[in-house]
Formats: sequence, C-alpha cells, structure tokens
Amino acid sequence: MTQKFAVVTDSTADLPDEWRSRYGIEVVPLKVLFGTETFRDGVDMTNEQFFARLATATSLPTTSAPSPGEFAEVYERLARDHDGCVSIHIGAQLSATAEAARVGASSVDGFKVEVIDSQTVSMPVAFLCRVAAECDTLDAAVAAVTQRLPNTRVLALLDTLRYLEMGGRLNRAQAMIGTMLDLKPLLLVAGAEIKPVDRVRTRSRAIGRMVEFFRNDLPVETLAVMHAQAPDEADEIAARLRKELPDMEVPVGQIGCVLGTHTGPKTLGLVYLKK
Amino acid sequence: MVATTKAIGVDGPLFKRALLGSLSWLASNHEEVNRLNVFPVPDGDTGTNMLLTLQSAVEDVKESNAAEVSKIAKLASHGSLMGARGNSGVILSQIFRGFARAVEGRSSLTPAELAAAFEEAANAAYRAVNKPTEGTILTVAREAGRAAATAAAAPDATVPRVIAAAAAGARSAVQKTPSQLQILRDAGVVDAGGFGLQLILEGMLKSVEESEPAFTAIEAKKPVIPAAQIALDLPEGGWGYCTEFLIEGNNLDTELIRDQIEALGNSVLVVGEPELVKVHVHTDDPTRVINLANGYGKLLKLNVGDMSTQHRRILETEGGQPVAPRPNGVGIVAVVAGRGLVDIFRGLGIDAIIEGGQTMNPSTQDMLNAIESLPYDEVILLPNNRNVIPAAKQVVGLTKKKVHLVETRSVPQGVSAVVAFRPDRSGDENVRAMKAEADRVQTIEVTHAIRDTRSNGVKVRKGDVIGLINNKLEFAGADYAQVVKQALGKLGPDSYELVTVYRGEQASDAEMATLESEIRSQYPGLEVEVQQGGQQHYPFILSVE
Repeated sequence: MTQKFAVVTDSTADLPDEWRSRYGIEVVPLKVLFGTETFRDGVDMTNEQFFARLATATSLPTTSAPSPGEFAEVYERLARDHDGCVSIHIGAQLSATAEAARVGASSVDGFKVEVIDSQTVSMPVAFLCRVAAECDTLDAAVAAVTQRLPNTRVLALLDTLRYLEMGGRLNRAQAMIGTMLDLKPLLLVAGAEIKPVDRVRTRSRAIGRMVEFFRNDLPVETLAVMHAQAPDEADEIAARLRKELPDMEVPVGQIGCVLGTHTGPKTLGLVYLKK
Repeated sequence: MVATTKAIGVDGPLFKRALLGSLSWLASNHEEVNRLNVFPVPDGDTGTNMLLTLQSAVEDVKESNAAEVSKIAKLASHGSLMGARGNSGVILSQIFRGFARAVEGRSSLTPAELAAAFEEAANAAYRAVNKPTEGTILTVAREAGRAAATAAAAPDATVPRVIAAAAAGARSAVQKTPSQLQILRDAGVVDAGGFGLQLILEGMLKSVEESEPAFTAIEAKKPVIPAAQIALDLPEGGWGYCTEFLIEGNNLDTELIRDQIEALGNSVLVVGEPELVKVHVHTDDPTRVINLANGYGKLLKLNVGDMSTQHRRILETEGGQPVAPRPNGVGIVAVVAGRGLVDIFRGLGIDAIIEGGQTMNPSTQDMLNAIESLPYDEVILLPNNRNVIPAAKQVVGLTKKKVHLVETRSVPQGVSAVVAFRPDRSGDENVRAMKAEADRVQTIEVTHAIRDTRSNGVKVRKGDVIGLINNKLEFAGADYAQVVKQALGKLGPDSYELVTVYRGEQASDAEMATLESEIRSQYPGLEVEVQQGGQQHYPFILSVE
C-alpha cells in the first residue's frame, strides 16, 4: 500500500533546485538579519546578494530559525493532500529549527509529522531528504533516514574562524586552535558533534588534508562539494574526485545565506554519507 | 716501571680540588671562550655552556668528603650529565663519564692510571658523538690524553707532570684546530670547545700545584647567570611542595628510594650513587618525605618550596588556566624565548615552556624538570634551536617517561611541528606527523654579524645584516628588506604560499612596515602574516611554507 507523504526540510539543507522540483520537497526558510532588516534565506535574498552585503556590512548579520507558526502553516497546507510528512532539519546542536518544527507539528491536528533532527547540516540533509522521497511509505522513509543519521559527514574548511566564533558555534580552546596564529582549521560535523580534525597553516595544504581525510572514509553512498564564494577551488576538488571515483556523481553546491553567516566566505566543504 | 719515590696519587680530595680549580679557572676565562664563536651570529655561547656544565658537575662534588677518586668522579659525571648545555657541554659530560668509568672502584690513581683515565675519557667522548669531527674538543681531549700517556711513561712521572702534559697537549691541539677545520680557518679563530677543555686542564694543574685551593675565589667569581625559568601549567589542585635534598649514606638503593618517594608525590627524580642520592619530588606532605629519607642517611641541601605559590604566580602572569588532560596522554614541552613566541606556543597547546634558546641554552636538567612536571607519561620535546638539541638528546635516557625528541632547529620548525600535533593521535603518530611538518617549512633568520668573518663563502663585516636559510649563512647586506628578499628569492617564492614574520625585540615599527610592504610588492603571490615574536638577537625570523 503506498501512502502519499511529503518531505519537508529547511533552507540550510542547501537542497539543489532540481531535487526540489523532482521530489516536491518543501523548503522552510531560516532568516538572516542585517540589523533590523530580515531576509528569508534563499527567498528574499540570493547567495550572491548575501555575500556582497556581508563583505560591506559594518556589523555581522545574525540568523534565526523559522517560527513554529511558520512550520504549522506548511504542515497544514500539506495536510490537505498528504497522509503525513517527514520533516528533516539542521542538527539541533546548531539550530533551534528542528525544535520549532516539533512545536509547529504539535499544533496541527490529524496530520502525522515525523520530525527528524539530522544532527548535520548542508547537503547531507538534502541527501537524507532524497532518501526519504524515494521511499514508498512514511515509516520506511523514517527508518531509512534514521538508519543513515550516524553516517553523515561534513568536512568544512573555513578561511577564518571569525564568523563561527562570533556566532557562538565554536570555542577556540576546544578546537585546539591558538589565538595567535592564523590557522586553517579543518572541522568535521558528525554524529551531532563538531570537532576539529586537523589544523594547517596554508589553504592549499588544508584542501589536501580534507581530501585525504575523505579518502580514508571511503566507501561513501553519496557525496558533494560545497562552497561559499569559492567556485574555482570547489570545481577543482570535484574534478579531482570524479577522476578518483569514476562511478560517483560529484555535484558542486553552494552554501546558503544562513550557513554562510556562520562560515564566512571562502568556505569549502566535502559532504557525504558514509556507506 | 715503578717510581722509587713515594709520589702523590689522585685520591678523592685531590680530584675534588682539581675540579674546583678547573671551575675557578674556566669561570675567569669563559668570556674568552665565548669570543671564539665561529658563526657570526649571537650564538649559544660555548664558554658559558661549558661553565654551566662544569658548575653542575662540581655542585655535588663540593658537598662530598669521599676519600675515593671513583666516588668524586662519579658525582662529577652525574652532575655534568644533568647540567649539560650545548654541544660542547654535552661532550664535556661524556668526557667526565668516560673518566668515571675508567676509575671505577679505585680509591687513588697512579700517574699512569690517571693518564689512562684521560685517554679513556677522550675515547668515551668520541663514542658518544655520531660523526666525530677533527679539530674540535674531541681532538683536543684525545691529544691531551696522548700527551698525558707519554708523560706517565717517563721514569720520573708524577701526577702534576701528567696533568701538565695533558694541559700542554691540549694547548697545542687547540692551536692546530684551524688547520683541521675550514670554518675555523675562515673565521680566524681556534675551536672554542677545545679551548674550554684546555682551560679546564690548566685549572686542574694550577690547583694541584698550589697548596691551597681557592675556594673563596670560586664563590666570588661564580657568574651571575639567570637560571632558565620554567613556566608550567600545573593541575588545579597544585602539587604542594617542591622538595629537594641529597641523602648521604651507605649502600643507598636508588631504585628502592625512588619507589617509596613515588608513592608520596609527583615529578619524582631520584638519582645518584650508593653514597649520595639526589631526590626531587613534588609532594603535599614534605615532612613524610623527609622522615622517610632520614631513615637512609644524612640529609644535605634540603630545600622545600611552596609550589602553590609558584602556581598562582604563574597563573597570574600567564593568565593561563589549568587544562584537562589530553585523550592520548601525550604532553608537549618546548624551549622558547621571547614573550610573543611564548604566547604563540602556549596558544598552540604546549604544556610547559622552558625559557631559553639562542644565547641561553637550557640545561638537560631544566628540560628534565619540565618533562617530569607534566601529568603525562609520554612527552614530546621540541628544542626549537640547533644549539639546544645536544642537551635535549641527553634527556631521553634520564627519565622513566617516554620522551620523543622532535629535533626542531628553529622557531618556524617548532611552530609547524606543534600545529601538526593532534590530541586524538598516539605519541608515535604525532611524532611522525610533527617531524614531517617541521621538515617541510623553510626558516629564514635575520640578524647582525657580531664580527668580521667568512662563512659558507659569504664575506661578512661586523654589524652587517645577515640572512640565514635553515641555519646556514647565505646573504649579507645593509638592510633587512634587501637580505630577506634575497633569501626568499633563493628559496623560490613560486613554491610557497605563506610567509610568517616573527618580529623580534630589536625591529622597529618602521623596519617592520618596510619589510612587510617590500615582500608584498616583490612577491605578490605570497601571503604575509606578521606576528610579534619578541625574540632577542634576531630582528626577524621568517617561516616560509
């Protein structure tokens, strides 16, 4: 028996437009605030506009999760022609989004909403959405996604820690990143944890380390190269990986405004689901 | 051939007097030795290093009234090993060690036995060095031994004559060192370490010839050199009291004492001979330690210091905070000088810093103390200076802890090594990664020549700005920017991404700004990062990677 269920995510999943239309995935935007001006991530502001503004902003923008009401609206709309939905969101260690989704869902009667804290961020969330969308039933979707939660990996190479630190997402001492030298930290988001896996002095070597770390994690189910304002380096990494893994698709994606607020420009990411 | 007249032998008191005499003579003349520096850079001063090593050799000897030469020699051997600084200091400690081995079990030496001991001392020093180089302290030690042997073979041989022959042999060997070593010839000097050994032998001769040793003169002439300071991150609870003393007794069992003391505290160091044992422990209950030790013999030089006070002081001055122990149980200790550099190394996660480096080489003991003070059984040691490596090598065998020496020869190598350290990786894995990173970085050091010389084919006049690449003199010129640009050009800037400039104490704001802008305009492909190093003697140290 097939069920008609919907897949919902948020704008930090960096979901490719093509998947969004193919699978009919709903995207609830988070918000970026420049002072008192509020922009919905990916709706009111493109990535290009965001980074252009970030470059000239006198103070850093802040971000906020969607409200429970916004989630409730989406779920109510979906309830009209769906039997239920799975709502997969940015890790609760990073954002209040999943919590807002849960509260929003509780206010919608008679519609089954399975909220999943993905424990990760960016395109791995999109990978999970695709896994869910390809399932026949809601239960199967929840099971398939839950089973993969321990396998998500985000390797992030930041050009500077300034943004992450200002956003309160990182403690330097924890990250074994000295306060004096300009180190390039390689961070890993896995299993609801952000931890530094390496630190290097130069960008090109950091990229090498990132790829090396990924190779040691093979085989993978899916992967993508992400970037914020670093398309050439992202393309180069993707080309390198396509050569090494001829059977894998290696899409290149862009990091959205809300994530960009915390990573800053020139961020590179290698994201994947481990097999 | 046996001498018919009753000649004096070298017994404990005589050898003690000889050692005190050599210390006194070296103390008066060590500046002469310092001036013989081959390298025109402000370097780890050979004379100072030898003097500090000899002081440490004599320290415990002064307290001993042993009648046997073997006991005094053992104390000197042990003391010099603990206090060894710099290359020549380490070789000197090996000379003492060889001597002590040769006289083991002897209460007194005949002239022939003394000469044989001198020869064995030189042999031991040769064996201790990986690639022995002629024209150095090694050659001088060997020639002194040969001359002593020749004198001892004479029918009228006496102890003073043998020592006189050794000193004369050393002197003539020292004079010949420039013909054996090109660098000495180029610099127009004799070998500093060899000259230091000559002074030690001359000092022995003086004291043996004189009726009374100049004890008071020694105290007065003791050079005022600040001991290398160790700054530590201590555990939150503190370690109570740093308790140190010597136990004088009979058939003391160092192993047994160590085991018992270890139950009472941390950072335990128990070393010595059956007659004299040195104890060092950080304990909450010094009284118990002292009572325990009292059962073994007479306590000497008892010193109890409140470490909690030190701890607080360090925390106040460093603004540091106690850190949680690392998952891999591996600590890191580094030798660093300069306020800014100390901060940089601390920021990178170093557990203990031994202040020292270029001109103030820390001793083996300083490094050992730092290592023993850490709550880790495995410790990585970063000397960060070529001249510190020899003393650092000695540390490895002196502690129960597993010590990994990563032979970093410069500040940039040290920084690169620490950056590669990962708390979730085993000691061995870290050491491998740290060595690889240290080897990858290029070091440019900029300083002023302290005198005219020629080195590595570069002619240098006193006061010139000189540039060294990986410890090798490459360029001399009139200003910093010019020399740095030449050095970067030689390295090939296209192969590198990042230049980190560690600004020394002497560099002015204007000089810093000029250097930075000139590097940027000449080599636009390089990223330039400026850090306040605060190091002395080197206005600029550059890391190129």
